[in-house]
Amino acid sequence: MSTPARLRAGTSAHVRAFVRRPLHVLFLVVLPPVVIEVYGMAMATFPELPFLSAPPATMGRINGAVFAAAFLAGLIGLFQVRSAAQADERLRLSGFRRAELFCSRLAVIVAVSLLATLASFAVLAQSTTVTAPLVAIGSLLLGSLLYGLIGILVGAVAPGELEGSLVLVFLADFDDFLSSGLVEIDSPVVNYTPLHYPHTLFTDAVQSGTVAAGDVGGGLAYLAVLAALSLAVYVWTTGTGGVLS
Amino acid sequence: MPNIENNTEPDDSISNARLAPDGGDATLPGDTVLRAANVAKTYDSPLPFSRSVEVLAGADVELQAGEIVGIVGENGSGKSTLMQILVGALDADGGTVDRAGAVGWCPQEPLLYDRLTVAETFDLFGRAYGMNADEIADARSRLADRLDFQRFLDYRIDHLSGGNRQKVNLGVALLHDPDVLLLDEPYTGFDWETYLAFWELTEELTERGTAIAIISHFVSERERFDRIYELRDGALHEQDAVVPETPADAGVSGGTPSTNGRERSDEEVPVE
Repeated sequence: MSTPARLRAGTSAHVRAFVRRPLHVLFLVVLPPVVIEVYGMAMATFPELPFLSAPPATMGRINGAVFAAAFLAGLIGLFQVRSAAQADERLRLSGFRRAELFCSRLAVIVAVSLLATLASFAVLAQSTTVTAPLVAIGSLLLGSLLYGLIGILVGAVAPGELEGSLVLVFLADFDDFLSSGLVEIDSPVVNYTPLHYPHTLFTDAVQSGTVAAGDVGGGLAYLAVLAALSLAVYVWTTGTGGVLS
Repeated sequence: MPNIENNTEPDDSISNARLAPDGGDATLPGDTVLRAANVAKTYDSPLPFSRSVEVLAGADVELQAGEIVGIVGENGSGKSTLMQILVGALDADGGTVDRAGAVGWCPQEPLLYDRLTVAETFDLFGRAYGMNADEIADARSRLADRLDFQRFLDYRIDHLSGGNRQKVNLGVALLHDPDVLLLDEPYTGFDWETYLAFWELTEELTERGTAIAIISHFVSERERFDRIYELRDGALHEQDAVVPETPADAGVSGGTPSTNGRERSDEEVPVE
């Protein structure tokens, strides 16, 4: 049995398992509109500040879109890896390579990231004019993929879904807050948070339609490093008692 | 003396095992299909104020083609740890495990995907074993008929009763017609008919040369086994052969098979 055949079989099984978990589908439908509108409403009460590049309510919705797409993918990435870890181990012993298991999980996460991106973009576009829609979608997808990989990372080392979810919630919240531009932070640290490049790219795409090559390169480099890291951690922890418990 | 010094670096000869046909490529003498020597395992925690637990301290076991071996022991004696090491699911701290041929593993807890149907489960694991669609369909049909879960093929795993889930668990282990079968409490939740069907199947398999190791809390039908080991103090001790005294010795524990839905706990007899 070849690697492509195993990948097809694994991905097909994982997609079926995903759509048969109603909570996941509900997240995709409910989370983007709720998060984007709540962020917009919350920020509407803020005063117009000189360093904000748009009215507070718009900034809130832009933030909400990035957070919703990223957090959704992160959550699914975590559940994909954590909830089926033992069955994955049996499948590995039965003939799947660890990298094949990782890739079949990743394929589902990429598909979910795309759906989360489109859902978040569609909700935002109802209330906010997007100057460069394709760039905006690409930026959201970048943030979503980054957090999908973070979800795999957290899922590979967390002892359970609850602990992993808490880590992911705090991480995504802090990341979104620090990289959003809603507060003026004079520290280079914010340039290294996972959502820094997606936020910058997305905000520019929505407001001005410009794309900075450095931000695109930085975002893709971040993605490549995170992909390699999550693969390495996943392979390390699969089946060798590497889970911290 | 068992080597339990190195309890952080796994032995290379045990790592990366596979159940698939190309997995066990060791050259073993004669009819030996699995040999574990001096296996040691200690559970350590990286966290402070937690103590180490030495589970295996030099366990040796050897399986010959066509024989059926029982491994018994008290709760927490390390039976499942030993099984996981034999199959390659867990790294040992020391010792060696050699396997010849394909291995089938039936873990104590069915490690299956809850949201796949039974048919999808067999298809996925069959692909993992390297089988084609026709081979999977044939084996699935044969096992479903034999273990009586044909009507549940379109049911999701999480919609099955515990007993039926265990049948699927066992079926997945048997799917690729392995040379060595390692079964951890395989008949948990079986009804009496399925329990008898299980033993008929194991007899057929051993006649064809399959080696089988069964882990259980108790073994009372000793005549079914060629050898019985007790896992005690981290090592395996072979029990003396015992001829059953009465026909009432039938019955095995660990989620005991039942007759007409009644548990057969009155016939469970611990080895010691």
